[in-house]
Amino acid sequence: VGKKVQAIYMWWHKPVINKELLQSMPNLKVIANSGVGMDHLDLKLIASFGVKMANVPHAVSSTTADTGMALLLASARRLVEVHNISISPSMDYSEADVLGVRVAGATLGIIGMGRIGYKIALRAKAFEMNILYHNRTRRKVEEEQAVGATYCEKIDSLLQQADIVMVVVSLTPQTHKLIGKRELELMKSTAILINISRGAVVDQEALVAALQTGVIRAAALDVTYPEPLPRDHPLLKLKNIIITPHLGIKTEKASYMITEEAVENILAALNGLPLPSEVLPS
Amino acid sequence: MWYHRPAINEELLQSLPNLKVVASSGVGIDHLDLKLLSSYGVKVSNTPFIVSTDTADMGMTLMLASARRLVEGHEMAVSPDTEYFPADWLGTEVSGATLGIVGMGVIGYKVAERAKAFEMKILYHNRSQRKKEEESAVGAVYCKKIDDLLQQSDFVLLAVNLTPQTHKLIGKRELELMKPTATIINISRGLVVDHDALVEALQNKVIKAAALDVTYPEPLPRDHPLLKMKNVIITPHIGSATKKTRWVMMEEMAESIEAGLAGLPIPHEVL
Repeated sequence: VGKKVQAIYMWWHKPVINKELLQSMPNLKVIANSGVGMDHLDLKLIASFGVKMANVPHAVSSTTADTGMALLLASARRLVEVHNISISPSMDYSEADVLGVRVAGATLGIIGMGRIGYKIALRAKAFEMNILYHNRTRRKVEEEQAVGATYCEKIDSLLQQADIVMVVVSLTPQTHKLIGKRELELMKSTAILINISRGAVVDQEALVAALQTGVIRAAALDVTYPEPLPRDHPLLKLKNIIITPHLGIKTEKASYMITEEAVENILAALNGLPLPSEVLPS
Repeated sequence: MWYHRPAINEELLQSLPNLKVVASSGVGIDHLDLKLLSSYGVKVSNTPFIVSTDTADMGMTLMLASARRLVEGHEMAVSPDTEYFPADWLGTEVSGATLGIVGMGVIGYKVAERAKAFEMKILYHNRSQRKKEEESAVGAVYCKKIDDLLQQSDFVLLAVNLTPQTHKLIGKRELELMKPTATIINISRGLVVDHDALVEALQNKVIKAAALDVTYPEPLPRDHPLLKMKNVIITPHIGSATKKTRWVMMEEMAESIEAGLAGLPIPHEVL
């Protein structure tokens, strides 16, 4: 069977692509990933077998940006907490002291201003937020002006000023544990951390400590390491955290668009044409 | 007044002969009998504009949380029974979807401004049509008949004030006009929606989901069916509940009270 396979369309990091699999599929030409993150793949290994790789950057950006905004608003307005109060069997609640944070006029710091980060900036601008961003490279002036974003060459500057920090980077050796004890301590004690990138970008132990001791106000994580977390993990016990099960691109429409984009890449590879969104080992 | 307390009735007014002004928190004044208060010579004020942005934000929060199944997702993520996240667990796309705003006042318009950034198609129904420039600025299309809005929207957001005309504005008929894949979001007043019809519509999958910052009564009785539904998010009327906004509300109420006591024109007087 392996000899017949020419293309693999991955869904949720399966199948696992390792040496054995690649050796069993000598006619494999292309692997298309149903997402944009490629950190679960050994790109060099795959390339060494002459197999091309593609991701689906266009299909995922809006949906992921929406996830970021959903977490931003939910954590600012304490949505999960107040919903639980609303439906709890006990009638004993006082509305007056469940206050959230006003989003309008607050400062959003976006770490990672790629396609997704930029779409978040577009949305946040409509909420009248002040936008700072940190990125490997600076965006063009017109792009910055369109969303009113200010570049922070040093991440420290962003961390010190932001009321909400949104992490939107891809996972690389450079971004592994990008947010650790030092970064959390630079943040305001009233700040909220939101992670929609990869669990490993945040030092989870440091985050637990920071949330427990009030170093930062709250966090909202769509991604953790691992997923799901072990059931006895301290993050699950905290009051000031929202954890979602990697919602990132999980909508019917996105699933459809992702598959379309993946198939485009697969067909291109099978026809010997350039791939629309090829990913090369760096 | 905070959260409609104390209840202002004839007995209370008779027992407070020196009462000059009632400062009500928030913008809604449906809980006050204005004619009665006027007959006792008592002036009334509210805090109309400061609440608008936070309330619009609450509408967007409820829409996003409901569409992406955020509350359900969080419960799954933290539940002791969860072993893995199912691959086919999906929500509904917000970007590019159609939002129907019922009531395009200050709050409704702010919702439109936010929704535009999500590339949503915006329809609106209002007593009167907005100016062309206002419509173009947010890309909103007027639906003179509420039916047209209900039939085309993926999300229906209620931002009207409560009046005799908007009481039970959304009932069985309106819910049946909505798409079965649609979600209703209420940031106006509980009484704008017929709750029994809503329960039935949700149970029979006539609509997909509901997200309510307001109910009738508030809070709902603890055995109310809405509290048990997975596809319903309920928040305890926190549209304006941010520290900064509440601070300004208090300031405005204090200003109105001071003016009322000094016999000066009252800021934000409700006539």
